[in-house]
Amino acid sequence: MRGSKKTGGALIQNRRMSDEVYITLLVASVAVGLFLIASLLVPNFFQWLNLLNLVTNNWAVISLGVGVTFLLVSGNFDLSVGGVVALSGVLSVWFAQSTGGANALSSGLGLPYWLAVLSAITGALAIGGLNALFVVRFRIPSIIVTLGTMMVARGIAQVITQGSQRNTNLPVEFGVLGNLTAFGTSVKLPVVLMGVLLVVAIFIERKMVFGRLTYWIGANPVAATLSGIDKARHVTFLYLFSSVIAGIVGILLSSEFKSGYSNRGTLMEFDALVIALLGGVAIAGGFGSVVGMFFGALILAVVTSAATGMTLSPDWQYILKAVAVFLAILAQTWALARRNR
Amino acid sequence: MTNQPPAAVLAVEGLTKDYPGVRAVDNVSFSIDSSTVHCLVGENGAGKSTLVKMLTGALRPTSGSMMVNGSVYQPNTPHDARECGIATLFQELHVVDELTVLDNLTLGMERSRFGFLIKSDLDDKVVQTLAAIEPSIDPSARVSSLSVAQKQIIEIARAASSGANVIIMDEPTAALSEREVERLFGVIHQLREAAVTVIYISHKLDEILKLGDAVTVLRDGKHIATKPLSDVAGRSELIEMMIGRNLFQDYTPRSTVTDDVVLDAQGLTNKLLKDVSFHINRGEIVGFYGLVGAGKTEIARALFGADKIAGSILFKGRMVGNSPKQAIANGIALVPEERRTQGLFTNLSIRENIPVMNLRRMSDCGVFRASEEQTAAIEYVDKLSIATDSIDKHTEKLSGGNQQKVVLAKCLFSKANLLLLDEPTRGVDVGAKTEIYDIIKTLADEGNSVAVFSSELDEVLGICDRIFLLFAGSLKSEVTNNSDVDIAHILNVVTGGGEGTSQ
Repeated sequence: MRGSKKTGGALIQNRRMSDEVYITLLVASVAVGLFLIASLLVPNFFQWLNLLNLVTNNWAVISLGVGVTFLLVSGNFDLSVGGVVALSGVLSVWFAQSTGGANALSSGLGLPYWLAVLSAITGALAIGGLNALFVVRFRIPSIIVTLGTMMVARGIAQVITQGSQRNTNLPVEFGVLGNLTAFGTSVKLPVVLMGVLLVVAIFIERKMVFGRLTYWIGANPVAATLSGIDKARHVTFLYLFSSVIAGIVGILLSSEFKSGYSNRGTLMEFDALVIALLGGVAIAGGFGSVVGMFFGALILAVVTSAATGMTLSPDWQYILKAVAVFLAILAQTWALARRNR
Repeated sequence: MTNQPPAAVLAVEGLTKDYPGVRAVDNVSFSIDSSTVHCLVGENGAGKSTLVKMLTGALRPTSGSMMVNGSVYQPNTPHDARECGIATLFQELHVVDELTVLDNLTLGMERSRFGFLIKSDLDDKVVQTLAAIEPSIDPSARVSSLSVAQKQIIEIARAASSGANVIIMDEPTAALSEREVERLFGVIHQLREAAVTVIYISHKLDEILKLGDAVTVLRDGKHIATKPLSDVAGRSELIEMMIGRNLFQDYTPRSTVTDDVVLDAQGLTNKLLKDVSFHINRGEIVGFYGLVGAGKTEIARALFGADKIAGSILFKGRMVGNSPKQAIANGIALVPEERRTQGLFTNLSIRENIPVMNLRRMSDCGVFRASEEQTAAIEYVDKLSIATDSIDKHTEKLSGGNQQKVVLAKCLFSKANLLLLDEPTRGVDVGAKTEIYDIIKTLADEGNSVAVFSSELDEVLGICDRIFLLFAGSLKSEVTNNSDVDIAHILNVVTGGGEGTSQ
């Protein structure tokens, strides 16, 4: 072999922070910075409890964000998660409602609660399967497919609730899961589950082959196939994974409110997408992380709750979110371009 | 400098183009007479495409001058070239499928007022031009409903109606059927009658002998000859002018070649391939040589399970699966033709690129072994002398040669026994080329087999033990390499000449 022999040591020593770590740090510091600025402007903002609330109030969107982030990294969209939240919530209510109620909306299938939950998750899986079928087998762009299944899922929920709510004739255990508090604190079970999900997702993403496959597929699908990766199987898994998370979120939400409501989770798919993008996930795939998405969620939460704290009318929230998204994405693009110049 | 008759529509004088380390076009002077079909021939790398790019304004010459109709011609952009009456027909078609024929013909020449299109006599003019060339095409038809040849005719009509008096055609028949080729030739003859000069570039020597009035031969960037085709004594003289020298030959017979058949392919057939059968032995380097479109990539992808194909492929006596995943599991690896789009994960680092083809070695029950990855990256950076200061460098930022080495490292890491290399040194600098050849030889010496799919004759003659010659999807002939192999015969076969009829 020709050329000067480099020692292994130099090859590692010269290693610099990867772009991903760089962007994640950037997002995290923006989140912290915004929190500090908001603390100066809004009275009583700088409290541990408030910081905790920023996370716990957003458990649903953050949980959905995990599945959406994995799919985005693999180069695919999932816009169906909001619809799946509504569908699985409504299904769990309908299956659990006892038979023979006073009217159509108060009588269900009368299944035991555990079976109702399992069946609702199956319903969610069906939507995930549909996504995978159209994206993987028929090669239809995922943004179109999941836009369709979003409406399919919500539409079914709408039919089952007749455009209204189902909240009567439910067994007592129905409200337990969503309202259980953990370890004698005020933290509810769904928040704990979100924490567990984040830890598991970060482990899969960073430490397992499954996570690596996701990056390879997103970075270059053609090269991934030619390198022997079963892309179809992997993307199918990801869609099922995302829809199961959304299904569980829907079940927990309907348990928390003891009702099945077809408009629940409206626009949650966009919030999940927004926090992923704020967190530095590349829309083209192959780049981003769950940790980044988590800090993206914090940014969004700080901005919206500070606005509320500054008694800005809630009507302004969308515009505020939009401004935050544009600024964040501009900043990331600029920072990456500058770094890699 | 002396023989420039006033009839010359285009003349170049002392034209030179330097790239760092290479002189692609070296002091070329010739002239082209008006209303002729002038052919340009030469091997890959002879400088044809660089010359054409200078004529069309895509590249600027290092030195030398060009004249059009007797006046100095210095195009800076392809647009300048068109202004001067020089239009080019590239291999890829530039038509808009969704628009009608007429819209395509006037594309970019529309007249408008305040952004609204206005009717002009332009429409009538282009319709007349098209009718003169090929009356069977309906101007109101949608372009997507036309055949490739008809689309090409649209492009020719567009060039002609823009007032071009020189049309450059770069391998126009690569995608055409035989009947369509006939019609294209008819069109070219009509153009010549209409006082348009055609510069025709092709590897298919039969076409040139049939169509051309004059021919210019380039070799290694130098001008070899320009003469009327009536003065050329057939294919053999053309081939002689194209080769001329002794090819750079450093092939030495290798002692590790065995007779054990590792891979046996029988009757491979698909849209392009016609009943291709061959076998590869253990420890052997075989070459598949042919022009672009001869079926090299198709064979490579078929062996790798990337495309469906009829016929049987036995590897080590067993059927190969029909997916790259199974091929890799069986010990076959492919370095694809396009390294940036098919081989590399360009936005990932060297470290992250190497392990992808051998995940079993990289993981414990699904958990990725990061330390193993680092060891592997350091090992291969060292083994293949990949020029980098860090294993965490993005592969995007590496030079072509180093990128190719990363793709090779990926394949080596899979511990394959049969390596398929599709154009392994395309766009790779000379130094890295030699290094890649050394890697290939070492692999074969270790008892693996390598198949090189290449359109560079130097490459297959330099390293391959046996060479399969391909033309238009058929395996025409097999040549055992040695230091006095018959190069004229090889070139004759791959350019469509009957086997064994040269010289």
